[in-house]
Amino acid sequence: MIKLLEKIAPAHCPKLLHRVVDGVCGRSYPRRMEYGESWSLNEWEDLMSSLSQLFRVAVGRKCTDQEVQELLGDLDAACTQAVLQCVHARWEEVRQALVNRTSAISSTQLQDFNWQLKLALSSDKLSSLNTPLLNLSLDVRENGVQRAVNIEMNKEELQTLINTLDAANKVVLQLK
Amino acid sequence: MEEVDRILIHSLRQTGTDIDDDVQSIKQFSSELIVEAVVRCLRVIDPTLGNGLSPSLPPGMSARFRVGMSLAQACQDLGYKGESGYQTFLYSNEPEIRSLLMFLVEKLPRESAEALDQPAGKSALLQKAIAAQIKTQLALPWLPPSCRLSLHCKTQSSGPCHSFHAMQLSLPYSLKAPTKKQAKGRCNFVKEYWREYLLPVTSQPSHHASVPASLLENHASELSAAQEWESEWNSQGLLSRLTPEEYCSRKRARLQKRIEEQLRAATQPRPDTHSTTRSTSDLTDLLNSFGGTTTGVDILAKGTRFTHSEKFTFTQEPEKAAQQMAAAASILPSSHQSEEDLKAKQEVEISALQEQLQQLSVQMEEVGGDIRQLTVSIHQVSDELKRRELSNSEKEDTVRVKKQTINLLPDAENNLVKLQSLVEASAKRVVYLASQWEKHRAPLIDEHRRLKELCSNREMESSRKLCEIKDLHDKIRQSAEEAKKKESLYKQLIAEYDTLPKDVSRSAYTMRILEIISNIKKQKEEITKILSDTKELQKEINGLTGKLDRTFAVTDELVFKDAKKDESVRKSYKYLAALHENCTQLIQTIEDTGTIMREIRDLEEQIETEHGKKTVSNLEKILEDYKAIRQENSALAAKIREGQV
Repeated sequence: MIKLLEKIAPAHCPKLLHRVVDGVCGRSYPRRMEYGESWSLNEWEDLMSSLSQLFRVAVGRKCTDQEVQELLGDLDAACTQAVLQCVHARWEEVRQALVNRTSAISSTQLQDFNWQLKLALSSDKLSSLNTPLLNLSLDVRENGVQRAVNIEMNKEELQTLINTLDAANKVVLQLK
Repeated sequence: MEEVDRILIHSLRQTGTDIDDDVQSIKQFSSELIVEAVVRCLRVIDPTLGNGLSPSLPPGMSARFRVGMSLAQACQDLGYKGESGYQTFLYSNEPEIRSLLMFLVEKLPRESAEALDQPAGKSALLQKAIAAQIKTQLALPWLPPSCRLSLHCKTQSSGPCHSFHAMQLSLPYSLKAPTKKQAKGRCNFVKEYWREYLLPVTSQPSHHASVPASLLENHASELSAAQEWESEWNSQGLLSRLTPEEYCSRKRARLQKRIEEQLRAATQPRPDTHSTTRSTSDLTDLLNSFGGTTTGVDILAKGTRFTHSEKFTFTQEPEKAAQQMAAAASILPSSHQSEEDLKAKQEVEISALQEQLQQLSVQMEEVGGDIRQLTVSIHQVSDELKRRELSNSEKEDTVRVKKQTINLLPDAENNLVKLQSLVEASAKRVVYLASQWEKHRAPLIDEHRRLKELCSNREMESSRKLCEIKDLHDKIRQSAEEAKKKESLYKQLIAEYDTLPKDVSRSAYTMRILEIISNIKKQKEEITKILSDTKELQKEINGLTGKLDRTFAVTDELVFKDAKKDESVRKSYKYLAALHENCTQLIQTIEDTGTIMREIRDLEEQIETEHGKKTVSNLEKILEDYKAIRQENSALAAKIREGQV
């Protein structure tokens, strides 16, 4: 599969490889539109999956140059060199991405969160309420499906949440 | 006086009195303005006192009179010593009003001006801002969404619709400087990557909107990591007396050990994992799967720690079954058969295989039980063996000793002597060695003690230094916080200073005050000069009068003596007496003229002050008001009469 890499000029090779590593690290993969004439759709998918697989394996198993070359098989010399350089340059980032993936072992993980602070000026019963409210939105990935959880809290509830999180953090610190 | 008036007008404006710009002095104050100013001042000084009074004069004359009376009463309640009554407000004269206003302005609370600028008003300010914003938004006409311009979108959209998403960013400085050998070679590649291929940070995230969120997230995580490390280093790292690198590596080793233990503990309690070798192989499988060998996200199936451990412990059995299935499939003839036959056959096979599977699992369990029993018995047997070996060796020793004694028995006498000498020699040797040992021991013990002391001293020193370092850290933190606080305070004060009105220039006032003081000093000097002059003059006058009296007495005596003898002398005596009398009269007249002149001056001053009191106009006003009151009274009387009729 990786042999497909020879289809473009070796000069363009490093750029493509770095974009693939970006994809591995959680950003966007390169777009096929830019390389439309070089590969068909199937070839493109194969190439992407095998390249990202290669990077993961190379970093995850801490492969030496020799081992990476074995993984690459009979790819031509220029491309091999490009892949090697890319692996070396992005080693830390790929490692970080793999560590993150490993630490996301449980069935539900927190991906991201947003918060909005609102000031409720009045309600249907009170003309002047002046209560600050926090709208916390958690982006949760549950079994591979992204889901948003929204919570609205007043001051006391927020304090309770913060206390709970503090306690959890203390437990984590004790583990360390 | 103009200076005083300006200050007074400025203070009155601050209390909320509406004074026109062309009013420059107290002289120009109308009755309405005076009443308003006084009422505003009273409200600021004592709200309970001032709130009962209205700042505007009522139209009716008797009501005006009442307002004047109550204002005068309020001023006297506050402690105004001067004369005040309704006439002070209604028929004003300048000096009285000035002294009253000066009294009131001095009574104005000084803190009120400071309290206004305190940050306590922050929430009030916010609410005011919100209210203003809502007001402007309400004032805008509603437009259907399709007609909105970009200007309206800001105020009429339903809030920020997109949520923020943070992404991992690749930044040049986020990698630590490489220390290992392998990493050093890598450094060049990394630099090349940064130079040639790294995208600018604004184009790294897929959506443009998540750039700031990602940047902030990145920054926050780095900051919190740094803070956490610092606090940990300050609390634990310093106490461990290691370099940061050593501390890190030690911590890493400890964590790894701990994780391994946890994983082992999770896999161990399963009854069907007999040998630790298998669980460790599972562990390596697990670690391999984490190492990135799996491709997709789904293959690294998510689950709790327990499901993972379960999976790793049970994987072998399905594998075995699958192998058997494959073997069975290969045995099958690959000829074409009808589907039903095939199905039937498959079902039979399946049932057979299931039976086989069950049998096998039963067998497995049996074998497992056997193995457990056997391991237990092996343990027992090996314990037994060890015990036996120990007792064996003991017995061998005793046998050897006994054998030697038996060998020595035939020549008992000689051997006894020999033995005794041997024992003596060895006893001597022991004594000698003991003395030697003592000799060596004493200095060694001393040395040991000394070193111990040194060690404890050092320990104390280092702990003291540690304490100092901790204190210093605390101090640094405290000072940093303080500095921050002061900085914010400074900013706030600067902002306050900017908002303060600039028209009151302190320096001008102080200059003026200093000038006035110097003027007063000069005047004082002049007054003392004049006073001393006057005293001297008085002295001179007294001296001269004395001299005159004496001279007159002497002359009078001389002339009187001669007057009895000579007629002409008698005449001259008469003249002398007349001259003296005339002169005293003259002096008396001059003195009278002086007093009259002084009186005239006093009267002139009084006339001037009376002129200042606008007496004529006030009298006219009083007459008019008197007429108005009479009219009101007559109207009221008419009304009463009407009511009676």
